[in-house]
Amino acid sequence: MKQETELGQQAGQNIMMTARNVSVFYGGKMAVNDVSIDISKDDVTAFIGPSGCGKSTFLRSFNRMNDTIPNARVEGRIELDGEDIYASGMDVVQLRARVGMVFQKPNPFPKSIYENVAYGPRIHGLAAGKTALDEIVQRSLRRAGLWEEVKDRLTDSGTALSGGQQQRLCIARAIAVDPEVILMDEPASALDPIATAKIEELIHELRGRYAIVIVTHNMQQAARVSQRTAFFHLGNLVEYGDTSQIFTNPRETRTKDYITGRYG
Amino acid sequence: MSDAVATRAPTDWKTGAMQQRIRRRYSAERRFRLLGLGAVMLSAGFLVFLLVTMLGNGIKGFTQTEVRLDIDFEKSALFIDPAALRGPSADAALAAADLEGTVRTAASSQYGAAGAGLLSESAWLRVREAVKEDPALLSRRATLWLPAASPIDIAAKGEGAPEAERIHAQLEGRNAVRTGFNWNFLTGSDATDPAAVGIWGAFKGSLLTMLVTLALAFPVGVLSAVYLEEYAPRNGWTDTIEVSINNLAAVPSIIFGLLGLAIFLNVMHLPRSAPLVGGLTLALMTMPVIVIAGRNAIKSVPPSIRDAALGVGASKIQVVFHHVLPLALPGILTGTIIGMARALGETAPLLMIGMRAFIASPPGGVTDPATALPVQIFLWSDEVSRGFVEKTSAAIIVLLVFLLAMNGLAIYLRNKFERRW
Amino acid sequence: MRNPSLSLTAILLLVLGLGLAGWFAARAKARAFARPGETRPHSLPSYHGWYVLLWAVLPALLFLGVWSSVSGGLVMQAVMDSPAAANLPGFEMQRQAIFTEARALADGTKTAAFNPQATALAPVFAEATTRYTIIATVVALLLAFSGGAFAFTRVSPGFRARTKVERLVMAALLIASLIAILTTLGIVASLLFEALRFFSMVSPIEFLFGLNWSPQTAIRADQAGSSGAFGAIPLFWGTIFIGAIIAMIVAIPLGLMSAIFLTQYASATVRRWMKPLLEILAGVPTVVYGYFAALTVAPAVRGFAVALGIPGSSESALAAGLVMGIMIIPFVSSMADDSIAAVPQAMRDGSLALGATSSETIKKVLVPAALPGVVGGVLLAVSRAIGETMIVVMAAGLAANLTINPFESVTTVTTQIVQLLTGDQEFDSPKTLAAFALGLVLFIVTLLLNIVALRVVKKYREAYE
Repeated sequence: MKQETELGQQAGQNIMMTARNVSVFYGGKMAVNDVSIDISKDDVTAFIGPSGCGKSTFLRSFNRMNDTIPNARVEGRIELDGEDIYASGMDVVQLRARVGMVFQKPNPFPKSIYENVAYGPRIHGLAAGKTALDEIVQRSLRRAGLWEEVKDRLTDSGTALSGGQQQRLCIARAIAVDPEVILMDEPASALDPIATAKIEELIHELRGRYAIVIVTHNMQQAARVSQRTAFFHLGNLVEYGDTSQIFTNPRETRTKDYITGRYG
Repeated sequence: MSDAVATRAPTDWKTGAMQQRIRRRYSAERRFRLLGLGAVMLSAGFLVFLLVTMLGNGIKGFTQTEVRLDIDFEKSALFIDPAALRGPSADAALAAADLEGTVRTAASSQYGAAGAGLLSESAWLRVREAVKEDPALLSRRATLWLPAASPIDIAAKGEGAPEAERIHAQLEGRNAVRTGFNWNFLTGSDATDPAAVGIWGAFKGSLLTMLVTLALAFPVGVLSAVYLEEYAPRNGWTDTIEVSINNLAAVPSIIFGLLGLAIFLNVMHLPRSAPLVGGLTLALMTMPVIVIAGRNAIKSVPPSIRDAALGVGASKIQVVFHHVLPLALPGILTGTIIGMARALGETAPLLMIGMRAFIASPPGGVTDPATALPVQIFLWSDEVSRGFVEKTSAAIIVLLVFLLAMNGLAIYLRNKFERRW
Repeated sequence: MRNPSLSLTAILLLVLGLGLAGWFAARAKARAFARPGETRPHSLPSYHGWYVLLWAVLPALLFLGVWSSVSGGLVMQAVMDSPAAANLPGFEMQRQAIFTEARALADGTKTAAFNPQATALAPVFAEATTRYTIIATVVALLLAFSGGAFAFTRVSPGFRARTKVERLVMAALLIASLIAILTTLGIVASLLFEALRFFSMVSPIEFLFGLNWSPQTAIRADQAGSSGAFGAIPLFWGTIFIGAIIAMIVAIPLGLMSAIFLTQYASATVRRWMKPLLEILAGVPTVVYGYFAALTVAPAVRGFAVALGIPGSSESALAAGLVMGIMIIPFVSSMADDSIAAVPQAMRDGSLALGATSSETIKKVLVPAALPGVVGGVLLAVSRAIGETMIVVMAAGLAANLTINPFESVTTVTTQIVQLLTGDQEFDSPKTLAAFALGLVLFIVTLLLNIVALRVVKKYREAYE
């Protein structure tokens, strides 16, 4: 345990979020066990591990989406820019605007493409008027690499897009609120290889502008898109380090076994 | 343009304007939540208000005010041979005697000229029963408690006209009035005098109607459900049957009444106002409910059970009757009870086929003229006399108790036998 | 055996007894050849039993069914032919009264008759009844016995009793499911037939577009056509006013907000208790609502109107509509509940993850996404409301006013159907037949509403599957 804590704390400079001794329970069941980790502002951080290892649950505790699950409980401390996000004074609505999330299955709202992207800025009052909102929508769609494909049909329903386009729309939707961190929960697992490649490319481009945390069960993807990688197993953080080091020279045998395909 | 974007400062959430905006959003959230809570409370409040109103009005319908009357049979102008009262000729002997007059005379002599008006019009019937029970009464002076007239009854319950209140106070002063449980309300039938009405006649009519409904709707409903779910080929015929059933479930009940009137009464010439026709009509209305509930119950039996039975060589009929139906039975029964509860509360179709007649004696069989409990409520609600208000509400209480019991049974069955596959 | 219904029961029991005996006999016979060592018979012994039982019972039952419908006529015929009936009065009603009394004497429900002629006829009645009862008993038993015997002779190891029995069960299943179609046809035929008769007397144009409804002026059938009082527009308006406008103004906000609160905010315990509680509202018989409306709500509404300075009548559209709205709340709320629950959780998460509050998520994402389902539910509720009878009969009134003042009394289609068909009816007057024309309109409209609603809901469900 001690070793893991140390492992977690060794992080790059420019730390965006930190987690200290975080455990997550569903009812009486422990899903994440005493994990500490730092998320760097400039890197893409990947959480890998076999399914059911608690990586998604852990990710959801970064923007308190676990709050929406009845009898889920988070212990420990998670900080965003030095602020405890589970402190009583912390406002969930603002937190989620600062820490955006992209889900496993594309979940555009059954509204037009424009309305999907404009939704966040509208509820948070980020645009002063129609022109400003137009600008935000266009900028977000551009950053999500979707603008060229949809600029002529912004009023079409978001659900009419292809799976890959839907997922990029969801990324655009998250970007539109101008978050500091974007959490991605297996964002490409429901997509075909070509769409997956596009999403990975997009993550590459977004790096540096936002701190990005991506959960994936696809090790190649983690190797391709991330600079830092954390390996989870049975709710424990086994190893955390530079992606190149984790994939070429893992310190833990469990990590090595997973990466070489012994289990998972 | 992405360069222009890059220079844009990140949102500052700490500004006063932002903070105020957040506060506004949260108070909107609270308002919305309160609105939802309010809607639930208001809806539940309506229910409570309805029940309390009925209970408040109806509970008095179960009690009855009685006035004491001393009748000196020996001195009265009655000529009845007590011996004639033992045996089958009692009714004839009593019918010939002027009991009504005797009671009126006794009341006048005891309470003055308006004395007879203190008693219910049907008070003498109570005397007749008493004499029949104990012929020895005829040879002595007897004290009987007889139902009070409706105005006195209402006054006793504290809502009467000033005049009636005054008379009631006088009676009370003479210790000549008491209030007891109104057994007659549970055992009697319809009458013109609110003090003398009972619900047994209407209740028996409902019972007979429901029996006919159950006897027709249950087998037909279950068999159609089995056919549609287990055997029906996918073709136009089956689709037609399915569409028919789904539409029948949504047809207004009064349309079934029109059907009953046109087909059962005018074409088939079945007896008017009879539970048989009422039951037939309600059966057509209830059957779709049973079919739909039955199909859902049958559908929820997993295919593995069927495969297992077919695998040991059971025929398709054996699979259904030995395995699927017993497993689906709780669900089917639940649906049937709910459908029957709906039929029990149904009024409009029964009005159409004439079950709204004034029926003063309980029906003997399914072809006798009868009325039903909800129809009785409707008929009494139309009465002008104030005494009917509490009787109507009391009848409603009885109806609601039965419906509650049936629905409770359905929920119990569902909870007890519900199986998760 | 003086009571004919009693004797019918007795014959039924006898036939069933014979069937049961056949069942046991056939099963015993089948058991005897189902010995180990020999080739296994096709069907289990009990199926042979059922086969014999069905052959014994069904033909006899069929005969008894036919018999019960003709026996009354046969007895009557015998009595009429008897010398005792020769000098009966010619007047039909008197004759019927005597017959009724004589029959009551004959079967023992009465001991003394008012009319001496009835006393004379009673033995004739009794004799004829007994004679025909004996004939029926003999024929029924003969049929049961010969049917059973025929079936019994067929019982053999190779006989496919199970197949035969199952074929009959299948036929029963098919017949049962056809009853739904027959009912639908019956409804359509009876409504259409009577409505067409109505339209031969009153023009459909006048009925559908006329503004004046006053069927009571048609005192006699031969002058009805010219009275011009069958314009149903005021009824249609009253129905829409109460069922689709006032009731929905009550039911839609309350039902929708209740569903939202119970699905999105309430704890599991509150939901478990409140949901069935609200559903009780739908289970209360409509006659109770009608009484509630007439007794409590209508006077309150009237008092309110008077306080506002509007002359209110004791029966008002508002009172009926309010109470009907209360009745409809659970329909709207359970449909809204289902529709909102069908919106994928991902949609909700997507909105919450952007920092939306619950109410923003509900108002801007969940409800718009669930809208088709909610609209479908509202259409079903409207169809239910306009077909509702007792509340409007008891609280809405009979005056066919064409008004938008909710404190005034209006009348509805269902109220008028009840009004036209209760009391004495002559079946050929347009007054009576108009009820069927109204019924036809009601049937068509509710059917269309249901079809549209179900289609909308189905499309919506498919969108999320």
